[in-house]
Amino acid sequence: MMQIKRRYIIFFLIYKNLQLKYKHSVLGFFWSLLHPFMYLLIFLAIFSTAFPAIENYPLYVLSGLVFWLYFSNATTQLSIVFIKNAHLIKSFNISKTMYPLTELGGELVSFLLGLIPFMVIMYFLGLEFSLNLLYLIPVILLFSIFIFSVGIILGSLNVFLRDVGIIWNTINPALFYLSPIAYSYQIVPEKFKFIVKYNPMYHFLELVRDVLYVGQVPSEHYVGRCLLITSVAVVLAIFIYRKTRNGFISNL
Amino acid sequence: MDYVIKLKDVSVSYLQNRKGTHSVKDFVLKASFISPFEKHRVLHHIDLTIKKGDSVGILGPNGTGKSTLLRTIAGIIKPDSGSVEVKVPISPLLTLGAGIELELSGYENMRIALALTGNYSKATRSEMIEKVSDFAELTKEQLRMPTKMYSTGMLARLAFSSVMTAQPELLMIDEVLAVGDRGFQKKCKNRLHEILNNGATLLFISHSPDEVKEVCKRGICINEGRKIYDGSAKKAAEVYSKLF
Repeated sequence: MMQIKRRYIIFFLIYKNLQLKYKHSVLGFFWSLLHPFMYLLIFLAIFSTAFPAIENYPLYVLSGLVFWLYFSNATTQLSIVFIKNAHLIKSFNISKTMYPLTELGGELVSFLLGLIPFMVIMYFLGLEFSLNLLYLIPVILLFSIFIFSVGIILGSLNVFLRDVGIIWNTINPALFYLSPIAYSYQIVPEKFKFIVKYNPMYHFLELVRDVLYVGQVPSEHYVGRCLLITSVAVVLAIFIYRKTRNGFISNL
Repeated sequence: MDYVIKLKDVSVSYLQNRKGTHSVKDFVLKASFISPFEKHRVLHHIDLTIKKGDSVGILGPNGTGKSTLLRTIAGIIKPDSGSVEVKVPISPLLTLGAGIELELSGYENMRIALALTGNYSKATRSEMIEKVSDFAELTKEQLRMPTKMYSTGMLARLAFSSVMTAQPELLMIDEVLAVGDRGFQKKCKNRLHEILNNGATLLFISHSPDEVKEVCKRGICINEGRKIYDGSAKKAAEVYSKLF
């Protein structure tokens, strides 16, 4: 009985998130496609001549961009998820993890829906449709777990220190340019390579590009790295969430 | 008779920010000297047994832990020590309009509220929705509008009806009965009596001793986190009035 009810709650919270996101804009869902598309056009206009070394630059940018935006949107939303749902957390005895979970669920749905038209564009940009694309499923799953962990860390800390969310919004664009989205790792001068190398996003982007750009089975190297990064993030998230969750109600 | 709620020696604290540590700057400055959080005890050694069918009014000055008590019983807050045992599902009405999204329509909000209070099921969906809209006295047209266009009273009706229409086993109401116009208030009280007659248990926070006397048989008075009276509603109202 309890299980059935929980299912409804999950369903309605995801539904609510999606409705709120798109309901009152004329273009609705298409805004979420327009955003990466604008980025893509800007990048093509500005950077494609700057980085002639990158083969098939449009596909390179787009594959990274789509996944970056998922990361950026989802973590931004997750960083305020507990604050946003303060009323619900204080009024209903529902596991507090339900709120970030459904928030991510909503983000994942809109990401996947957006991925469909972008895959079509990628096809015209030269992406080969093969069974290798199925590797996207575990890649997206792993990436989502990573995003969820980062989001839980930000969201939990944000309850106590409200500027965590603001700081995250501020460093987000910086992180964008520190990640090899518009450029590639190889182009980075030797002495700055470490910055990219220690950026978790770099490894995930390479993993994604193995499938979407190179069109191959994800290489063991990046799979290993991403598994490691995700595990560390998960452990950290559990630790911070456990430490802070009992103080949520008094600080929300 | 069998009990539905049993609290044994329950103490609850809040993890509180030391004065004004709400930004990272403060945090870094202060954390190097002292822990930025301190425990602040809200409820002290509460013992409470509530039987099935009880209607309990909870009285007490502001900030003495009444809402905390209900949240502890509802399982939203975990106590530091002691045990909380609750045997039936709870329908909480702790903050009015919790979860109401102003951008969504009345119908959508209704469905969300029903799901959150555990009253949503596919089988009874349309029947419930009809009952709720009847009770709230909102027309189909109004329910299709986004709730941001509602008046405060209409919002309260919507929120209230979503909980009151079902037959809860254990209903918690935190100072939210005084909503809507006279007619709606009367309707709510009638419905409350109906729910109680059907065998529900009620925990009811109010600042009006008269309201407590009217609705409840039993009364509890809380002051500074301690239970100072537990007995008849009439006596509890007297104890409460003497506090001021």
